[in-house]
Amino acid sequence: MTFEARVGTAILEAFAATGDPPSPAGVAGRLGSDVEPVLAAWDRLRGGRAIVTGEDGVSIRMANPFSGISTEHTFESAGIRYYANCAWDALGIPAALGRGGTVRSRCAHSGESLRLEVTDDGPEDCDWLFHSLVPAAHWWDDIVFT
Amino acid sequence: MLFFRSEDDLRAWCRERGVEPGPMVPVPQLWRLSRVWYGSRLDPEAPRPSPGEARAIFAGLGLTGNFWDPVPRQEHTP
Repeated sequence: MTFEARVGTAILEAFAATGDPPSPAGVAGRLGSDVEPVLAAWDRLRGGRAIVTGEDGVSIRMANPFSGISTEHTFESAGIRYYANCAWDALGIPAALGRGGTVRSRCAHSGESLRLEVTDDGPEDCDWLFHSLVPAAHWWDDIVFT
Repeated sequence: MLFFRSEDDLRAWCRERGVEPGPMVPVPQLWRLSRVWYGSRLDPEAPRPSPGEARAIFAGLGLTGNFWDPVPRQEHTP
C-alpha cells in the first residue's frame, strides 16, 4: 500500500473510531511518521477527492461519508456521534462502519425530524425520499453545495 | 443531497426555488446504494469506483439516465 493510501485509511479509521476528523500530527503519530510527508499525502488526497479540506488547507471538511464539521445529518452508534455530509452519507456511515445505530436528519421542506433506526439488515421501514438537485456529473463542481 | 418526508414536500421545495425535481430515491434504495458505495470504504485495499464502475453501480440499482451518469456530457456544437 502506498503511503498516501495509508494516510487516507488512517483518516477514515480515525473518523470511525472517534467521529472526529484527525489532524496531520495525529495521523503522523498513528503511522509513526513525520508530519511533513503526511501533509504532502494530504495534498494528494485532496487532489484525488479523497478528502476536502477547509480554508486552511489542513482541517478535514469531508472524508466521505464522514464530515469534519457538524451538520444536520448524523448517525449515532456505540456512544459515538458521527456527522454526515449529506442525506446519502447519513446512511453511508452505517454502511461503512458495518453496524447499526440511529440516523437523524430532517425534511428539507417541512423541517420535520427524521429518526431512523438502522440494523445490520438495513433501516427500518421508512417512506421518506432522498433527492439530489445536482446531477452526478457535476457533484464535484461544488461538492460542499452538492 | 437532502431528505424529504414526502413527494409533496419535495415538489414544494423545488417549486419555491424554481427548479425541476430530480430523481426521487426511496430510503430502501438509498440504503442499497450506500451498502455498495460505502460498504468497503474502510478497507484499505478497496479502490473507489471509477466513473464506469459508478455508472454500473447506479444502473444495477435502477438509477439510470443522464442524471446518474458520472461522466460529463460533451457540449454539442451545431
